[in-house]
Amino acid sequence: MALTRRTLFTVGGGLAATATLAACGTNTGRTSPAATASAGTTASGPQLAQWYHQYGEDGVEEAVRAWAAEFTDAQIDVNWVLSNYEDALAAALLTPTAPDVFEYANGPTLDMIKAGQVADLTEMLGDAGAEFTPSVLARMTYDNKVWAIPQTVDMQLLYYRPSVLAEAGVQPPTTLAELTEVAQAVATPERGGFYAGQDGGIGVLGLLLMWASGLDEFNEARTEAAFNTSALYATVAQYKALFDSPGMVKAASADWSDASPFINGECALQWGGLWDLPNVTEAFGDDVGVLPFPASGGDPVVPFGAFSACVSAASDHVDVAQDYVRWLWVDSDDKQVEFSDGFGTHIPAKPSLFSRASQVASGPGADAAAFVTDHGRSNALFWTAASGQAYSTALSNCVLNGADPAAEFGAAAQTVDAELARVND
Amino acid sequence: MARRTPAPLLNRPVWFWALVTPFLAGLLVFVYVPLLWSLWLSFYDARNTVTPTDFVGLANYVALLNDRLFVDSMVTFVAFAAFIVPLTFACSLGLALLLQRVTVFRGFFRSVFFIPTAVSYVIAAMVWRMSFFNGARFGLANTLLTDLGQQPVNWLGGENNWYWLVLVSLRLWLQVGFYMILFIAGLNQIDPQLFEAAALDGANGWRRFRYVTFPLLRPTSVAVAMLLLFNAFQAFDEFYNTLITAGGYPPFARPPLVYLYLISFGGGAQDLGIGSAGTMILTLVILVFSLIQNRVLALGGGGQ
Amino acid sequence: MKPSRAGSVLAHLAASVLAVLFLLPFYVIWRNAFSTQQGIVSPQWHWWPDQLDLTTLTAVLGNPRLGVVQALVNSLVVSVVQTLATVVISLMAGYALARWRTPASRLVLGLTVFTLMVPAMVTFVPTFVMVSTLGWISSYRGLIVPVVFSAFATFLFRQAFLDFPRELEESAALDGANTWTTFWRIVVPNTRGTIAAVGTITFIGAWNAFLWPLLIAQDPAMRTVQVVLSQFMTAQGVRYPEMFTGALIAVVPALIVFAFLQRWLVEGVARSGLK
Repeated sequence: MALTRRTLFTVGGGLAATATLAACGTNTGRTSPAATASAGTTASGPQLAQWYHQYGEDGVEEAVRAWAAEFTDAQIDVNWVLSNYEDALAAALLTPTAPDVFEYANGPTLDMIKAGQVADLTEMLGDAGAEFTPSVLARMTYDNKVWAIPQTVDMQLLYYRPSVLAEAGVQPPTTLAELTEVAQAVATPERGGFYAGQDGGIGVLGLLLMWASGLDEFNEARTEAAFNTSALYATVAQYKALFDSPGMVKAASADWSDASPFINGECALQWGGLWDLPNVTEAFGDDVGVLPFPASGGDPVVPFGAFSACVSAASDHVDVAQDYVRWLWVDSDDKQVEFSDGFGTHIPAKPSLFSRASQVASGPGADAAAFVTDHGRSNALFWTAASGQAYSTALSNCVLNGADPAAEFGAAAQTVDAELARVND
Repeated sequence: MARRTPAPLLNRPVWFWALVTPFLAGLLVFVYVPLLWSLWLSFYDARNTVTPTDFVGLANYVALLNDRLFVDSMVTFVAFAAFIVPLTFACSLGLALLLQRVTVFRGFFRSVFFIPTAVSYVIAAMVWRMSFFNGARFGLANTLLTDLGQQPVNWLGGENNWYWLVLVSLRLWLQVGFYMILFIAGLNQIDPQLFEAAALDGANGWRRFRYVTFPLLRPTSVAVAMLLLFNAFQAFDEFYNTLITAGGYPPFARPPLVYLYLISFGGGAQDLGIGSAGTMILTLVILVFSLIQNRVLALGGGGQ
Repeated sequence: MKPSRAGSVLAHLAASVLAVLFLLPFYVIWRNAFSTQQGIVSPQWHWWPDQLDLTTLTAVLGNPRLGVVQALVNSLVVSVVQTLATVVISLMAGYALARWRTPASRLVLGLTVFTLMVPAMVTFVPTFVMVSTLGWISSYRGLIVPVVFSAFATFLFRQAFLDFPRELEESAALDGANTWTTFWRIVVPNTRGTIAAVGTITFIGAWNAFLWPLLIAQDPAMRTVQVVLSQFMTAQGVRYPEMFTGALIAVVPALIVFAFLQRWLVEGVARSGLK
């Protein structure tokens, strides 16, 4: 696009004029959040745009705006994107108004890296990389380069109440088969057994079924799918038995990502997020237990994810943007602890901070942190959207409609192979 | 059409261009430029870029036509269109005809049937999936069922086919009012004397509709059928907002546009080559089916 | 035509039953907005709300972090300007396409109808890149200009003009009026109904637009009401009362516009048809 710069230059003058007018307008009326944020700061230097997705917990937006205002080498404008974060961000990265700094779940996508949209942060991070949980930082690493700095770690786990299990005379389940029995044993006419979302858990548990069978998405070389085996078919058959049993809760007042069904007593066991731990302990006190997803031929497993800070390679101020990311997410331990511990429950990205984060220092939170260390996995960088759709379609067809696993996962494996060929190209 | 003595000023082409240029210029800049840009992208490997350099020819088209999920979705929605177009057509026309028979509070009824048009798809889908057809015990439909001694139904879970009832009722509620207004306008064009003549000939209600109303309504019918067809193939919002869960969009009742969105735009991916190729295929399918539909409707109206 | 008495009673009965069904969703939005979370998710369905006061409404409207009031203003500006611009631009084009039967006219009509077949998704990203390059992010221009050129509105106007009585224009022309004055003085006033219909549809579309404003309004002060309210629907927790209060806030202005345009709408479509 040869005309871009010129067009930008000519309309730039007009834009500056309207910006002045707009500024005059705000002086007479209410102050915008951006103006408030920058009021208390001595920031000089360039203006940088930073994007966050909307966090469900109260107070996060105020905190990150306040921190942005504290940075002295640049003026940071925080854009708090209310929904469709990935769509909005991907579109913005194509344009001259791309954010300089932005967060992304588990670091940038493979396509973002390959398209040159994100800056290589390896040098900026330097030796400090050793401070981060290795498995988390590894997820942000591609081609021996680090592409994002983890902000905090989220994970999912199984909530239950020890008293309810004791009443029914069952032990916490360690295998998928035991989970099937426990779910039926604890179910009553008023309260169901196991709940994992409005889609019957297909979406959120899909990869866990694969991992709990001791399988991986791909082979080592990432050239072909490795999940299409009889071990997976057996796990899927076991999950179908659970799904068809009276212990399964298939619809509730909220989806799996909100623990209210568990809190309301709509189910006795719920697959949920660690972020809801404060609400759950508020409701049940000490009567709260957490488990990883039970094994099914392999080991128990929990998924983790980490929203991570990336720097746009197209930024006019890549260096200052990297300084900002380093200041906030590498050097400022206090802020990282508050980000993890102050709003819902999250696990700091550095193990040295665990003891300072009250919610994961002891109790179920500490169990959760240990699950991540012992059983934590995250979705693979090469697992594309099309691969994910093919896999969950196969799983849904098997569990909901009783389709033949060999045929369904065989077809999914073909799609995954084709996707791998595309992305390895 | 034979021109009557033309008022010379009226037919000067300069006026045509004066009136049409603002629209045409905007259409070209804000619709056709992006459209051609997309067409160009569909021949490239264009992941996370709008200025790709890796020309792949028809590879994106071939990939999609070999994609079982995309083809399944296309087939499902050809069937869906074959069902929903006549149904919406019949319901809208039915309401318009019903209002002709209504003499008391006609304006009120007309407003009531039209007013759902004002509601966004997002909000309507919220009402349908959270209050009416919630699979949990507090949903209205399930409360009514349990009151009648029946088991609650998991409406949207995909274990059964009831989700079609949810989606179709939602879609009809949102859309019939608008097409009803178009039919009312068409009905009002018909000379009332024709009905009286038919009544004098002893034609009953059905025959009057079959031989007088429906043929005279043909121009409106053709336009409405065309808009309904475009609408059926481009289904997105009512499906997406009703069936999306925290675990993603399920593989059933998945319109082609939703599938394309999931693999090429939503879900963290941005594959503009595949997305563009997919919408081009869909546009071609719509074009073919609207030509077929026009041909069928033209044959039906051979006597006109 | 003399409809039978029984038939007429039956028609009124059917219309009444249907009217109840059509209004039920509006009632449910209202019920949910004035209920507590517990009231909504309690095991039994309740017809009557259990928190019939302004608690939730004031909480949503008064929360400065949500900026609902500013968003309502933005939505109103965008919807009104977009509606006026669309109606004027498409009215002129629709008239031209109906009156002139030249090859050029047929070509423009073909271009117009073809865009109705093309899913909007295909033009979305390129349009966004263009608008961003023009520097229109977080501006009314960016929210409005790219979406005012409506092929749908032009098509509807063109259909409506097909049977506009030509005699009216010709007599005006004989009186020495040129096309421009004839158009504004004779044609437009006699097309009020179609204008009301297209205006209503455009206003509703603009008011309910979501993805485009979400991308364009990067400055919180430029957000529209649908964008602001979307946060109740995507947060980790589902708060039914807030969500449906938001829905109520979003729906009511659209209903008010409906009520205003309704009279012209009905009177107007009664006169002009769609061919």
